[in-house]
Amino acid sequence: MIPLAVFLAALALVLAVVLPPLISRARFRTRSPWAAMLLWQAVALAGGLSLIGAPLVYGLSPFGATLHTALATMLELLVAGDFAALVGLHVHPAHVFALCLAVLLGLHLLLTLLRTYVRVLASRRRHRDLVRLLSTPADRTDAAGPHAELGEDVAHVIEHEAPLAYCLPGRTGGRSLTVVSRGLLDQLSPEELSAVVAHERTHLQQRHHLLTMAFDAWYRALPWLPTTRHGREAVLELTEMLADDGALRGHSRTALLRSLALSSSEAGEDDAGTGAAHRAQGATSGAGGTVITTARLQRLLVPPPALPRSAVVAVVLASATLLAGPTAVLLVV
Amino acid sequence: MATLGDLERSVMTLLWDGGESLSANEVRDRLDEDLAVTTVLTVLSRLEKKSMVARERSTRPHRYSATASREEHTVEMLNEVLGTASDREAVLARFIGGISDAEAAALRRMLDSE
Repeated sequence: MIPLAVFLAALALVLAVVLPPLISRARFRTRSPWAAMLLWQAVALAGGLSLIGAPLVYGLSPFGATLHTALATMLELLVAGDFAALVGLHVHPAHVFALCLAVLLGLHLLLTLLRTYVRVLASRRRHRDLVRLLSTPADRTDAAGPHAELGEDVAHVIEHEAPLAYCLPGRTGGRSLTVVSRGLLDQLSPEELSAVVAHERTHLQQRHHLLTMAFDAWYRALPWLPTTRHGREAVLELTEMLADDGALRGHSRTALLRSLALSSSEAGEDDAGTGAAHRAQGATSGAGGTVITTARLQRLLVPPPALPRSAVVAVVLASATLLAGPTAVLLVV
Repeated sequence: MATLGDLERSVMTLLWDGGESLSANEVRDRLDEDLAVTTVLTVLSRLEKKSMVARERSTRPHRYSATASREEHTVEMLNEVLGTASDREAVLARFIGGISDAEAAALRRMLDSE
């Protein structure tokens, strides 16, 4: 069992420290965001399992030859309160410490996930109440003005000058809301606005909030682990790419790009102010244009070729192996 | 037929715009629709549960007022969208957030020159 514990510890190290920075920079994520998303979910789950599994297996090692029998023996002794038997089994305090660590870590991760879920649901309910009371559904009145022809793309309009678009997921699709601000309506043409709404609807349809919630929870549970922050950022970036792809199915690339360019907080102001800002950032290049560094924008401006099928298969297989590996080890051995 | 949501919105508008506390009867009289006082009370207690209105219990009949102005609630809402990362989990609001102002400006110039 000791080699197994070492293997799990090594796996946890690779999954939690080595791999995440590589994946969050990997070029393939812009070519197939969903493949990268799958890999992230697999890395996080397998990482969590091996992080808990390593101390668990080490702590159980004196109790039996296999995980199954060791766990049974340990629980029997615990229920019987037979602590004298521990000496006979050569149980070292380090083993007890490892067992406690595994249990606490497991509980910590699960409870943080649960708490995040409950808190997010409560703050969504509150936000939904506020939106319903403060906004006008765009289809109902002439609130949308020239955008009234949005048709079934119902969006709620809040009266605020900041250009904003966001979505608020509900447990059922019918309770989900897409919200746009007056400031955004005033800036965008109907086609651009409809691209924005399609982007937000893709978030809701693909349930992106569920994909990001676990990463929010891991970050909250282990904020000192840089990986949890990187993972959270990377997964958020991927959901935006996926939503862009969803919007592009029914809208032109130009409409989406224009809506992104115009919905920045300084849109509509004179460019002189923002010009100074780029120079301050040292990001100018050639004829006074800022280099676009955001991967999401780059792939909209110059669409990369789709990932070859063989590479997609490789990513799917790698994700499946990552998930099956630690699980099989813990269940079978 | 107005839904409960519509009625809640009308009642809040009344309380926000009036700026004074009102009894259920006064709310009913000021609404355009012809409603039973019990309906108004239902709407008010729903709004109280959402902590949008506060009930003054020392007077008979009870009087209701808005807990915060429309602007204050809008700010509360937008803080969640634009605010710090930790309280942004409820909404998916990165449509604009992921792009810096400088990049958006560069993008605008690029699109305009096409």
